[in-house]
Amino acid sequence: MKGRVLSFSQSASINRSIWMIAPALFLLIVFLLLPYVSIVIMSVREPAAGVPYGTGFTFAHYWHALSDSYVLLIIGRTLMIGVIVTMTTLLLGYPVAYHLAYSRSRWAGLLYVFVLSPLLVGVVVRTFSWLIILSRNGLVNQSLIALGLTGSPLPLVNNTLGVVIALTHVLLPFLILPLLGNLQAISPDLSLAARSLGASRARAFFRVTLPLSIPGIQAGTVLVFVLAISAYVTPAMLGGAGGRTMSVLIVQYLIESFRWPAGAALALILAAIGIIAVALYVNFLARVARRLP
Amino acid sequence: MSRGALGIRKTGWDWVFTAIVTLIYAYLMFPIVLVVILSLNSGEFLALPLRGLSLRWFGVLFADQRFTAAILYSLRIAVISTFVNAVIGTLAAIYIAQHAGRLREQLRLLMITPLLLPEILTAIALLFYFYQIGIGDRYSVAIQVGHVVVTFPYVLLNVSAALFNFDRSQKEAARSLGAGPWMTFRRVTLPAIKPGLITGCMFVLVISFDIFNVSLLLKSVGRNTLPLELFDYLRFNFDPTAAAIASLSIALTFIVIFLIDRTVGLRSLRF
Repeated sequence: MKGRVLSFSQSASINRSIWMIAPALFLLIVFLLLPYVSIVIMSVREPAAGVPYGTGFTFAHYWHALSDSYVLLIIGRTLMIGVIVTMTTLLLGYPVAYHLAYSRSRWAGLLYVFVLSPLLVGVVVRTFSWLIILSRNGLVNQSLIALGLTGSPLPLVNNTLGVVIALTHVLLPFLILPLLGNLQAISPDLSLAARSLGASRARAFFRVTLPLSIPGIQAGTVLVFVLAISAYVTPAMLGGAGGRTMSVLIVQYLIESFRWPAGAALALILAAIGIIAVALYVNFLARVARRLP
Repeated sequence: MSRGALGIRKTGWDWVFTAIVTLIYAYLMFPIVLVVILSLNSGEFLALPLRGLSLRWFGVLFADQRFTAAILYSLRIAVISTFVNAVIGTLAAIYIAQHAGRLREQLRLLMITPLLLPEILTAIALLFYFYQIGIGDRYSVAIQVGHVVVTFPYVLLNVSAALFNFDRSQKEAARSLGAGPWMTFRRVTLPAIKPGLITGCMFVLVISFDIFNVSLLLKSVGRNTLPLELFDYLRFNFDPTAAAIASLSIALTFIVIFLIDRTVGLRSLRF
């Protein structure tokens, strides 16, 4: 027996109120946990013709995927896009989060809407807009040609560059919002104290505010990285063949060539790579944080 | 005297910082504003400068049965997701805040897993699962369940935040004065969680209306949500009708942001 004793009324209340959590538990167990188990099972199914999967079991899909140089190329590209987008969102998002956290401007409410609204506008819509901006006859190319800065259109879509530019925009709010919550919890008095003791503005920022905001940076960057390597819509719409990522390849396996077991194996490989990358990164940040003053 | 972020007199660096931040805010809003402007073009192309202002592309959009059907289908799925999650998310939030004992943190974590897992993986999982249990893509069951699962955490998170500051003695006072459980819920708990419930529901509505991956993999043949219809349309067309569809979706978002701001305030949002 555990040492903890529940009073009679407490245990009765737990038993009587269990129905309140039951529908949510049912939803998440039957329609989330069990389906995830089905990915694992699907990934070791034998392939078949005419139907999505066969009856036997095999580990071959994993070896096929990991020994296929095209798949390895796509994995490398997906990771590269993830790393670059994480860095660009941090670079653009940190100043915005800092500004929103300490701003006393009367526009602060409106600026918060500026950060929030892209999050709530669908990703198809936002990617479509980047297609208008970046495509061969798009706004950027038309302007550059009109200004005489380039003779022929620059290739801004159907490659990794276009995917990075659009994904940075799509994922920026996911970096800003967790970081904003973290920065708002840091008292501006700390930085002011450092300044009053003679630290320059830059020194106060790098020695006080930045180290204290590492938890916010970690939350935001991990979220952005996971969303970037699993993004489907943006690389599918403007990546073309040159910007094809793992998600696009997986969906192709699933709905175009009906190779469900091979697609499931690819999906699990993507998930495993994501988990390993995030674990290494969190470990690295923890070591950086320990070295700081 | 003008003052900077920390109440210190503004220096040259402050102006540089303000300029950079202003550019980033512009970058955030530019694509959204651009689509709305281009949807009002009276010309044939998705390009600036506009030939003139007109609502003709919205006319084209509403005259096309494909798009009106997709709008109604998206709204139906979003409204059902909102109702289902309003009920089960609120119940779960109250249970976790007031009844869960030792398992509180584990339960909370389980409840937000749909947010932690990439949407595309959840969609793939549900695709396999519904096929294996023999439902497949029939009757829009799979797509509806997918939307409910992916948007489940929003009501829960926002109601939980509202319950965080809720004083349980109010509830006990109501009970001791003779109110039944239902009366106590309606007159004491519900008013306290109302802001969180409203915000959570608005979020579910907008996000369910917008999400793509789950709909792509779980849709029934021949039935498209609005984002799917836009995606398909853009494969073969590139004209202001697409911008008009996008503008409708943007309009829905801003109506919801406005309503949240008017009823409970934007700063109370939880993700």
